[in-house]
Amino acid sequence: MSALGPLPRRIAVALALPVTLIAAWWITSAGSENFYFPPLQTIVQTFGKLWFSPHALSDVVPSLWRFSVGYLAAAFLGIAIGIPVGASRNLRNVLEPVLEFFRAIPPPVLVPVLILFAGIGNEMKALVIMFGCIWPVLLNTVAGVRALDEVLAETVRSYRIGRFARLWHFTLPGASPLIFTGLRQALPIGIILMVVSEMFAASDGIGFALVQYQRTFALPEMWSGIILLGIIGIVLSLIFRAIETRLLGWYHGLRQSQRAG
Amino acid sequence: MLEVKGLRKVYEDTSRTVEAIRDVSFCVGEGELVCIVGPSGAGKTTLLKCIAGLLAPTAGGVIVEATPVVGPPPAMAVVFQEYGRSLFPWMSVHDNVMLPLKQKNMPAARREELVRDALAAVDLKGVESAYPWQLSGGMQQRVAIARAVAYEPHVLLMDEPFAAVDAQTRADLEDLIRVLWRRLRVTVLFVTHDIDESVYLGQRVMVMSQAPTVIMEDVAVDLPDERTQLETRSMARFGELRKHIYSQIQLAKQGWRPPAG
Ligand SMILES: Nc1ncnc2c1ncn2[C@@H]1O[C@H](COP(=O)(O)OP(=O)(O)OP(=O)(O)O)[C@@H](O)[C@H]1O
Ligand SMILES: [Mg+2]
Repeated sequence: MSALGPLPRRIAVALALPVTLIAAWWITSAGSENFYFPPLQTIVQTFGKLWFSPHALSDVVPSLWRFSVGYLAAAFLGIAIGIPVGASRNLRNVLEPVLEFFRAIPPPVLVPVLILFAGIGNEMKALVIMFGCIWPVLLNTVAGVRALDEVLAETVRSYRIGRFARLWHFTLPGASPLIFTGLRQALPIGIILMVVSEMFAASDGIGFALVQYQRTFALPEMWSGIILLGIIGIVLSLIFRAIETRLLGWYHGLRQSQRAG
Repeated sequence: MLEVKGLRKVYEDTSRTVEAIRDVSFCVGEGELVCIVGPSGAGKTTLLKCIAGLLAPTAGGVIVEATPVVGPPPAMAVVFQEYGRSLFPWMSVHDNVMLPLKQKNMPAARREELVRDALAAVDLKGVESAYPWQLSGGMQQRVAIARAVAYEPHVLLMDEPFAAVDAQTRADLEDLIRVLWRRLRVTVLFVTHDIDESVYLGQRVMVMSQAPTVIMEDVAVDLPDERTQLETRSMARFGELRKHIYSQIQLAKQGWRPPAG
């Protein structure tokens, strides 16, 4: 950690490789006649035209909306189910085999099934995203609740702290480091499922657009769509990191003081 | 005030059973300060947890303020042996002391006053907004004591609270307990394995045998009420008492136990 040095240097280190790769791509693809690998310059120009136009919103907004609904529903349900399951050995014994089974199902195969129940609208896509994202959140929440400190639990009990305060001031914050681990693991899963579900059956969305470009051999557009997905992934993980830093500041401080002591 | 009657505690696992406490009975009057000493593994923590309503006794029972203990009694505070783990690492010092008070029905201003007074009493002004893990061990222990004091308990249970702090801090904390006890008129049950500490602090010292535990002897400490580290500890009577208790503990370690009945 300390070997990284001051902030400007850290930023320089973080950006060095991406900049080199982009430069290499730019130079090697410059003037490319290959239909499948157009010059990066063309892709960037297309990117600007395509994704900074009002028309683009009709694809990006639905995608992000589905992702948000599915991901947040998974986060809420994963935590809400994970807490009682983590707290009760009996509940775990009953639920664990079932959960293991559901977790083993690859979420994309649910798309055809869910189309039957939920149609091809936003609900179906949000459900697929939710189904994929819920497992890391749920399993990590269970682990987090199980790992709650026993002495702290006895403290809570001996001061007769009520149910709600117990949940809010003890269980949730105590399990939050692992809950956040689960939420972080769910992030890329959600993006993948967003795109995949839109490729199957959709009339808009980034995944839908990508398939359209591919079918019409609009290669620069397709490449620019892939770049857009990468950027969305990075922005989401930056937002996630900012929230995590805020909520888990105590945890990183605690870890550091334990390492030092 | 506090009565322990025929208490017996057997830990039962699938693999083994441990008889920690065989038969313990004693009474503590209102406002008394009683120390419990015994060799390591004597069942001191077990006894305290039974009194605190955190463990169900196998036989016998505990009565606190005329009410049989079935769960944590309302006007009781416990300072645990593992004090570092009994503080919430995600809360500031202030919030750690405040949390139990939120359960009590009183005006917010009164709560703030109790927190402020308790932190001042343990000499912790100015660290309200720090996290516990930013403090030294002795300071953390004082936060745990402040939390117990702010709770305004009628009975205060302390389990080897000073086992992990240095000698100087320990002497200071011992005096702090005497001061708080005399000022608040609270009933204190103080567990320690340090014979000197038990004689210095207590009005009575109860010597416990090895597990399965019975009480070896209940020694009245006939030292003046005004105690100072230097003077009290150099009194002839102090030496006699500690010698007497020391020999009792030696007997306990050799497995000697008082004749039944
Ligand atoms: N949860 C438990 N399950 C099984 N046995 C236990 C449990 N807790 C304590 N014991 C056993 O009960 C006996 C008394 O333990 P206890 O922790 O009460 O001793 P203690 O006097 O507090 O010791 P120390 O001075 O080391 O803190 C020990 O033999 C211990 O192994
Ligand atoms: Mg103990």
